[in-house]
Amino acid sequence: MGALGKPIILMVAMYLFLKFVLPNIPGSAPLPSSLIFLYLLLTASGIVIYETLSGESKDAFWGPMQRFLTGEGSGGLQVLRYGVLILFPLLVGWETYGSTASSDLPPTEGRTIHPAPPGEYTGLSNPVPKTPDNIMQGKGFYAAFCSPCHGGNFDGKGPAARGFNPPPANFADPTTIAMLQESYLFWRIKKGGVGLPIEGAPWKSAMPRWEVELPDEWIWKIIMGEYDGAHQSPRTWE
Amino acid sequence: MERINLHEPGNKGEEQRTGSEWCRENEASMKPVNHIMKQVLRSGAAVITAMVIGSVPFSFAQESVAVRAALVTGGLPLDDPNAAAWSSAAPASFPMSPQVHWPNRIQEVTVKDVSVRALHDGKQVAFLLEYSDPTQDPDDAAAFEFMVGDKKAHFAHGQPMLQVEGGPVNIWFWKNKAGKAVDMSAKGFGTLKPQAHQDVNAKGAYSNGTWKVVFSRNLSTEHPEEDVQITPGQFISIAFAVWDGRKDAAGELVEKGSQKSVSSWWYFRADAPPDYSSYMYAAVAVALALGFQFVLIRKLKKGQ
Repeated sequence: MGALGKPIILMVAMYLFLKFVLPNIPGSAPLPSSLIFLYLLLTASGIVIYETLSGESKDAFWGPMQRFLTGEGSGGLQVLRYGVLILFPLLVGWETYGSTASSDLPPTEGRTIHPAPPGEYTGLSNPVPKTPDNIMQGKGFYAAFCSPCHGGNFDGKGPAARGFNPPPANFADPTTIAMLQESYLFWRIKKGGVGLPIEGAPWKSAMPRWEVELPDEWIWKIIMGEYDGAHQSPRTWE
Repeated sequence: MERINLHEPGNKGEEQRTGSEWCRENEASMKPVNHIMKQVLRSGAAVITAMVIGSVPFSFAQESVAVRAALVTGGLPLDDPNAAAWSSAAPASFPMSPQVHWPNRIQEVTVKDVSVRALHDGKQVAFLLEYSDPTQDPDDAAAFEFMVGDKKAHFAHGQPMLQVEGGPVNIWFWKNKAGKAVDMSAKGFGTLKPQAHQDVNAKGAYSNGTWKVVFSRNLSTEHPEEDVQITPGQFISIAFAVWDGRKDAAGELVEKGSQKSVSSWWYFRADAPPDYSSYMYAAVAVALALGFQFVLIRKLKKGQ
């Protein structure tokens, strides 16, 4: 047992270290399970190489496994042995079924939520002065044109939102307008859903192409009203 | 010390143990091993059961992104919205929104959800659309929309996209007072028109505040450039629209034209005939794994 026990303890210790200790080291982060698996695989290969360096250690390492598989002197572990011998083929069969069975799931469409804007819409600054009057006017336009979907509370939960997939953006969420520049919003409002590049899945977006209906000045005011109403500020270059 | 006492009521010191006592203790300690194994197997079975039960809600959640047409033999309920056969088809429900994408918009609509079922027999497909509507009106209407061909089409009548070349849409339109379906095509606003070849049938039945409308068509047609072609096993983009034909106090229709209730794109699939090949592959894999074990153990036994 000694030759097998140590590797098992080492593997368990390694797993516990990667899973629970490492993420708590300052400046570190939880590891993805694929990386943990890779590290454990490296640990296991290291153990196998170490244990098979000499003839003696090789026998001590493989011996218990061989005795377990052949059932010689395994005594009370016989039940465990049959369990392994039955479960292994079943696991192989299950994996084979899983990888060959046709999926019932519809094709997944990876959709980029904030795709890159066309060059002419980067770095534009809001030409409308940020006065209380303009902000108020922007909020008025927002209430008239945007709030049916994006919501009176700027939370994407307007009365017309429920049927749309993708859902209207929630401006109160710090991952939407708070991480975008004003010129990005100008592009999205002006060109709407149909203006998105292919990675943004434009065929699914219900966002109107507002340039057809609203003058640019109104759009800039709406942007101002949106940031103010959602208690966010536009991203700027530091 | 407590644990040793449990196994050996005699409470003997370590030094006083005889060989036979060691054996007895070994036997005694084996029982817990078997016991633990049983517990492990039992909890494993419990986990698998939980996974099977847990997967049931997942399959329901799945229904709300796709309509599935089950393959049936022996006749589709093509013109009977109340046929018993419909109860065998799983309903998928989809949320609806007022059409706000382009003018003329509407802010409030009657129909907020639709439920869709489908069946096919390898030759024809039949859809059952159900939704609540408090009143039956001559102008009550409903439509299905499909992408046609390989190009993506915008859900608003396939309107042009600025950075992506889109394709056309095929629209199946039913209106209560017409009592039939119109097979239509569109590629952009203002391009909607009935096709020269009418391939779709529809029949509606209203009772107890619910509309049930059956749409049916052959899976494939001779006009693949304007009609959606349904290949069993393939997912197709589908969307829905509903008009409540009620009138306001001035006698004007509230929902008409672009002022309607709409859905986004979802998926439709006609089930392919059952394919048992993956069971066969799995059986072959199990046999190979068993054979591998057999050969390995034989070699190990011979080697010693």
